Amino acid sequence: MKRTGNGARMAAPRVAASKGVAFSKSPVLAVRLPTWRSRVVLFALFAAFAALAGRALWLQAMSTSFLQQQGKSRYERVLELPATRGKIMDRNGQVLASSLPVKAVWAIPDDVLAEPPAKLRALAKLLEMPEADLRKKLDSDRTFVYLKRQVEMDVIDQIDQLDIDGLDTRKEYKRFYPQGEVMTHLVGFTNVEDVGQESMELAQQKTLVGATGSRRVIKDRLGRIVEDVGLSKEPHDGRDLTLSVDSKLQYIAYTSIKEAVQKFNAKAGAAVVLDVHTGEVLALANWPTYNPNDRSKLTGEQLRNRVITDTFEPGSTLKPFTVALALETKRVTPNTLFDTTTSGRFVIGDRTIRDTHPHGVIDVTTIIQKSSNIGMSKMALAMPPQEMWEMFTKSGFGQAPRFGFPGAVAGRVRPHKAWRPVEQANMAFGHGISVSLLQLARSYMIFARDGDIIPLSFQKVTEKPVGQQVISAKTAAEIRVMLETVVGPGGTASRAQVPGYRVGGKTGTAQKLVNGRYSQTKYIGSFAGIAPMSNPRFIIAVMVDEPSGAVHTGGGVAAPTFAALAANALRAANVPPDSTVTEIIIPEHPLEE
Amino acid sequence: MNGKINIVLSAALVVCALSVVKGQYQARHLFSDLEIIQQQARQLDIDWAQLQLDQSTLGKNARIEQIARTELNMTPLTPARTQYLTEAAK
Repeated sequence: MKRTGNGARMAAPRVAASKGVAFSKSPVLAVRLPTWRSRVVLFALFAAFAALAGRALWLQAMSTSFLQQQGKSRYERVLELPATRGKIMDRNGQVLASSLPVKAVWAIPDDVLAEPPAKLRALAKLLEMPEADLRKKLDSDRTFVYLKRQVEMDVIDQIDQLDIDGLDTRKEYKRFYPQGEVMTHLVGFTNVEDVGQESMELAQQKTLVGATGSRRVIKDRLGRIVEDVGLSKEPHDGRDLTLSVDSKLQYIAYTSIKEAVQKFNAKAGAAVVLDVHTGEVLALANWPTYNPNDRSKLTGEQLRNRVITDTFEPGSTLKPFTVALALETKRVTPNTLFDTTTSGRFVIGDRTIRDTHPHGVIDVTTIIQKSSNIGMSKMALAMPPQEMWEMFTKSGFGQAPRFGFPGAVAGRVRPHKAWRPVEQANMAFGHGISVSLLQLARSYMIFARDGDIIPLSFQKVTEKPVGQQVISAKTAAEIRVMLETVVGPGGTASRAQVPGYRVGGKTGTAQKLVNGRYSQTKYIGSFAGIAPMSNPRFIIAVMVDEPSGAVHTGGGVAAPTFAALAANALRAANVPPDSTVTEIIIPEHPLEE
Repeated sequence: MNGKINIVLSAALVVCALSVVKGQYQARHLFSDLEIIQQQARQLDIDWAQLQLDQSTLGKNARIEQIARTELNMTPLTPARTQYLTEAAK
């Protein structure tokens, strides 16, 4: 209604105009403006539009990717998807190493130092470090300081409750080794970055480590992921590794060698158990050892894996190889007689070879049983060096091991052309040649199996390995008989007897080389044996380094260790007894080598 | 006639647009549920690893031996006091 009124009032001048002066003739409008002014306005308007169009074109065409990037970064988030390092398990699936998420605690020093001292004290207590140390770490010019790495989750929860400004955490993984010092020489350990440092952790680093992935997502106001955008990279967890080792046998080997080192007051000791049929390493123990869960002690002597990375002169444990060669080439039979009555000594060139006891005229079996150096020397000198060298090489001595274990050594067998007769004789009883305990154990495959040797494996074997024939099955059987006499009454290793089982093996006592000379006080006692004899299942090699008690021979220190180890291992593996002898009476003073 | 088609098509367009909105909303919801469940799966994986570790730690041979010897007063068996049973020939 009001509007109509207004309209009526406004209409009045128009009516007046129509009655009087025409709109176009109105003198008010008669003012003539210069045309350039309208042109300028028009031009300015067009220029403004052109500028807008140009800007739009510029944004759309030239800088579009940059702008899209900026836009995305305001609503998209890239999440890192961590991959877990693979577990290491024993042959029965028991976990030997496993990674669990933990957190690293880091700080912005200035912010944290501004907090009340009571909070810092509580933090120091939770991080298990003296407050002074904590303050020392915070006293830094940097803006990022790690306070402690690999803090477990329950501690992190408590730290979160303290609500300290400038303190944050970062996700990482910690490796746990439930079997600790028992298994560590096989499993190894990782560093704080979860990278393998020793043993299988190092050797299998590539398969154990996973590949971290990432994904690009849109998060909503509450931080929930609502959409995947763009390509995401799947994380791949590291593959689990199943080792050949048997936890039970490993524990038996570990306790046996630990007891032996303590009992004989030795510097160190090592033992290894092999599966005769598959070539798997069932146990590998060292003493001294270390706890891989305690990072502060991961250096020094105890890290050494004596089974694999140390070589020693094996001594008499090598005698069966020369005898096997002599039998194989039909130069002797087990009953061939040798005269060792040179009043306990035998001279080759300017060197004398001695027996600890004169043995008289004895056959080949007795040479092995009593471990006669003179008998061995005579047998060896009847053979060309090349054949002996080939025998040693085929048995794996001086050969780089191919089982992929870090630090594995090849040992040393000098080229046969350089052998002098006295050296050849020495080598027949294991001097002037160096092997690792693992090589020694593996070489006994040729006796435990039917004359062939198979590759060793630290991982569970599923296929039957293919052997390489070294000696005939007949020779291997003959040697086995001899090895059993060593353990029997009158042999050098009567202490190696195992109640209920037939076992066999050979002792070795070697003088250690100190500054290039044979030491008269430092010995390595070793024993390599096969059990049970009726159907060989295990090869067990034991080494005791520098026993400093009353006994130092292989028969005295290594043989009883072997017996304890073999007895428990056979029982643990449910091997049926093959002997009716259940109580063993060991002579008070067994024969020395 | 033309006007009618326009009205019908407009109505269809509105319905489609709304269903797209609803679909997207549901998809986001389901996705966020999936995310929660995947998170749970990861947590369960971690728990499983933790339990495996605990099993290995508690089942340590050293611990078993110690308990057997001290708490249960057990001793290692010897062949001398073992009765071996062999299966009779068939």
